[in-house]
Amino acid sequence: MNTVSAFSSAGLGKTTADASAPVRVAVRNLDFYYGDAQALKGIDLDFHDRQVTALIGPSGCGKSTLLRVFNRIYSLYPEQRASGEVILDGRNILSPSIDVNELRSRIGMVFQKPTPFPMSIYDNVAFGMRLYERLPKAEVEVRVEQALRKAALWDEVKDKLKQSGMGLSGGQQQRLCIARTVAQGPEVILFDEPTSALDPISTGKIEELIEQLRADFTIVIVTHNMQQAARISQFTAFMYLGELVEFAPTTQIFMNPAKKQTQDYVTGRFG
Amino acid sequence: MASTAQAAPAAAAPEIVAWGRVRPGRRIADRLLKVLCVAFTVLGVFVLGWILAMLLVRGVSALSPAIFLQPTPGPGSSGGGLANAMLGSLILTMLGIVVATPVGVMAGTYLAEYGRTSKLASVVRFINDVLLSAPSILIGLFVYTLLVPPLGGYSGWAGAVALAIIAVPVIVRTTEDMLRIVPNGLREAGAALGAPPSIVIRSITWRAARAGMVTGVILATARIAGETAPLLFTALNNQFWFSPTLMGGVSNLPVTIFQFALSPYENWQQLAWAGALIITAAILGLSIVARFVIKKDLAR
Repeated sequence: MNTVSAFSSAGLGKTTADASAPVRVAVRNLDFYYGDAQALKGIDLDFHDRQVTALIGPSGCGKSTLLRVFNRIYSLYPEQRASGEVILDGRNILSPSIDVNELRSRIGMVFQKPTPFPMSIYDNVAFGMRLYERLPKAEVEVRVEQALRKAALWDEVKDKLKQSGMGLSGGQQQRLCIARTVAQGPEVILFDEPTSALDPISTGKIEELIEQLRADFTIVIVTHNMQQAARISQFTAFMYLGELVEFAPTTQIFMNPAKKQTQDYVTGRFG
Repeated sequence: MASTAQAAPAAAAPEIVAWGRVRPGRRIADRLLKVLCVAFTVLGVFVLGWILAMLLVRGVSALSPAIFLQPTPGPGSSGGGLANAMLGSLILTMLGIVVATPVGVMAGTYLAEYGRTSKLASVVRFINDVLLSAPSILIGLFVYTLLVPPLGGYSGWAGAVALAIIAVPVIVRTTEDMLRIVPNGLREAGAALGAPPSIVIRSITWRAARAGMVTGVILATARIAGETAPLLFTALNNQFWFSPTLMGGVSNLPVTIFQFALSPYENWQQLAWAGALIITAAILGLSIVARFVIKKDLAR
């Protein structure tokens, strides 16, 4: 099959999916509405611990919407609402009794466009950890360095930590945002098309980084780039028109999909 | 039939009819518009330049160290300066801006960050726009009825309040506009780290909009520094040094210019020119500072 040849060179199957890994986030019968328009229809999906799950599908299929449910960032906009269940550590995060700010400190998010805050590189990274912890200065310094090292940015910025984060290049800014998220010590990190605004070299760095972060975090990534999904994820969910079409180990989605629709999409016949 | 030449079949002579030629009508229309734009720009700049030139010629010749050291002279007496009027203006403007800045910044922040498209926000925004263009003499009269009789007479405090009321809508508007151009992604990124709105606003959006907001306050300062009408009914004016409690008339530049310019005394008219030059220079200075703030922030 030409699907195989198309993706084997892209590094597919570098790491195999571990379906026995515990479920970190479980989505049950999730519906989502923008005003009256329904964007997600009855989604059921499990995200496994310390695995990268890619959400793929054509524009408007609801993959970013689904990602934005996990940290309830959608609730910044009053006309958007979700119903159903999203279980994290035994609690339904959609329940009104959940403190969204605490939830967001446990589920980090990296956006499509790099969003450095208008402050120094150091303060950018320290921002999240200072919100919920009273830390002595020395420990903040240690953790900022750790986070920047984890984000593969330390060597490039260690001499200019006091300079503004806005002065970095796009790829560096995105790694700064990853460092900022990592520094907070979340359980899950959501990536919303993190490389779509970056050049190929920066993209490669971010992909490597995601691969490394998998050791410590459960990762969900929305991507338009199917090679990217094939390269970095262990599980892939294919969505179409607000519904989950197929969810399986990435190798299976790309080499032996169960549904014809999935096959058509990953081979580029539509979308 | 020259006009149909262009409509002739392309096959007729494709090599001779140059394909890139602008139609003559368009070129004329373009030139005409350009000439009109340039002409009216020159006219506007010329009038401004004329005013400035006259101000410089008349004002500079009236400048002397005494202007900064002596108070305004009485009728018929020679010499004198504008020291009391300048100090009074400085105090009134500072008081006004100190009162207006927190009110304006908070209201602007409410509109941009919390109210957004809500009913209350729309009403506040509308009222603010009305206030922005309200005749300043009305604001003077309003503050007069509110403060002058109850305080037992004219006072610098009433003047400062009137100036503050003029500055508030300017600051509200610029604060809201500047916060609105902060990309939403920045707010989302802050919220995604678990920062409640109060922290997102204080440490992220205010910081991102800082230069624009500071500029708004500086421009509001420039605006009220030259206001005359709201002071006529509130701080009035004072030929002499005003009371340190700011009760009673407080001398100030705009009303002094107004009175002295209309006076029959030669030295008063001279002082009015000098005062006008000083106010203009101060406002120009503030505008330059505002530009500098923006530039510096962009370079950051």
